[in-house]
Amino acid sequence: MHGIDWVDVGLSGLKIAVVLGAMLNVTPIMVWVERRGSALIQDRPGPNRVGPFGLFQSFADALKFILKEDMLPAKANKVLYTIAPMFGLIPALTTIAVVPWGRPFLLPGGRLFEPIIANVNIGILLIFALASMGVYGIVMAGWASANKYSLLGGIRASAQMISYELSLTLAAVSVLMSAGSLSLVDVVWRQTGSFVLFNAIKLPAWNIFSPAMWIAFVVFFVSAFAETNRLPFDFAEADAELVAGYHTEYSSMKFALFFMSEYMAMATMSALITTLFLGGWDIPWYNEPPNALGFALSVLAFVAKVSVLLFVFVWVRWTVPRLKYDLLMKLGWKVFLPLAVINIVIVALFIAKRWI
Amino acid sequence: MISFIIFFFFAAVAVIFAAMVVLHRNPVVGALSLVASFFALAVMYVLLEAPFLAALQVIVYAGAIMVLFLFVIMLLNLQHQAEPHTRPVQQFLGYTSSAAFGLALIYYLAKFGVTKLPEGVFVADARTVGIRMFEAYIFPFEMVSILLLAAIVGALILSGRTGISSTQGSPSASVPSTKMPPATPASTHSEEVR
Repeated sequence: MHGIDWVDVGLSGLKIAVVLGAMLNVTPIMVWVERRGSALIQDRPGPNRVGPFGLFQSFADALKFILKEDMLPAKANKVLYTIAPMFGLIPALTTIAVVPWGRPFLLPGGRLFEPIIANVNIGILLIFALASMGVYGIVMAGWASANKYSLLGGIRASAQMISYELSLTLAAVSVLMSAGSLSLVDVVWRQTGSFVLFNAIKLPAWNIFSPAMWIAFVVFFVSAFAETNRLPFDFAEADAELVAGYHTEYSSMKFALFFMSEYMAMATMSALITTLFLGGWDIPWYNEPPNALGFALSVLAFVAKVSVLLFVFVWVRWTVPRLKYDLLMKLGWKVFLPLAVINIVIVALFIAKRWI
Repeated sequence: MISFIIFFFFAAVAVIFAAMVVLHRNPVVGALSLVASFFALAVMYVLLEAPFLAALQVIVYAGAIMVLFLFVIMLLNLQHQAEPHTRPVQQFLGYTSSAAFGLALIYYLAKFGVTKLPEGVFVADARTVGIRMFEAYIFPFEMVSILLLAAIVGALILSGRTGISSTQGSPSASVPSTKMPPATPASTHSEEVR
């Protein structure tokens, strides 16, 4: 056994603290963006009383969550009812660990600083493995509440997640084939620089600009909405049909945990879409210097891309109405799954012809 | 030393939750315990330096198959059903056969030893597994695909979709699939879900 490298431990702790802090702050910010964004789209003011532009509304919301009575339904399975919200939170918080969020650079001591918590060579598989655990939080909550609407929400969630996980994973396979690696660090490095499309336009070498990836991007992007249970695919809660679906019986901080995990799952999904298709931390038409400045700029680029995607999540929610449940299943199994498989063949052709 | 502690902790978790699957009366709790057991098993793969297999274990078993199991259990609403009474003969056969299996397992593990590891460096990354699967084991791999295809076709036929469409062509009541009127499956389904 070799000794423990305390600088390395310290750096890891710092990275974990920064990323966790960012993830935990996503929820209050996104709640504000969601409420103000929906108001903007529906042509009304939205929350604008607490603080400038209503920015402190989230603090008021949090205070309310903490002070509300925590109720336990009489017929609920107490153990599962209590651990279900926590179970939803774990995948939302852990999957971000394998996503690189900046350009690596050399520290003054000659040590390489890699802005990623865990640089594992099976990064994308780890994300899918942990993300697939997220559904158990919803299913457990739906079942343990002993409420028919909750149960229906849980059943719907399990069917929906299974269906869309397939197309999500198969769409990601296209990206992994072109990168030749399961590590998200390699996927991002593969997208740096630029290429010339159809001998005419000089574009950044992001996967989204490659003709082989267009289908994969659409499939992945839409499946991401289903995977995070957001409108137009929020069948697990579907407030018009199921009261509030799987979290009907939840109140106080237990409800807040579901709330938080939904927004954190959105942030993770946005980070994943950015990494797989939008070049990760790469800045278009610009060669980041391998120093602290390049690192800072690349982190800003990453955060900007994720923020835009998060706003798109909000935008879509308040623009597109909910599908019918049978349409959701048809879309997943009869449209997206075949499209994702076809795209794998297309990417294979591109790789064989050395076009990418 | 640390991996030793991790191993025994997760081994205990795997065994306890595996026992829960068998012993707990509630099928939903049983299914969730199986998920926990699979997860603990995935940690074993990580300790064996096969993180690729660990990820596959979680994605395929804990993430996909068990969600389907839970889906079916919850759809059938099994938790309100009384446990069917078991006969003493069934209990006797169950206990003796499982005890015999356990003894056989312990005997062979003791005989051949659990400390012997295969020689050479153990590699189980995506590339190695893929090359192995599509070169040395291509025939079993294709056989499994055909088996799965047959299972899908069988499930489609059993689900009665073809039965109902065939009744439209032939109105004779002697065809077995016409015994069940088309309205019945829909009504029982909605009653089960409530």
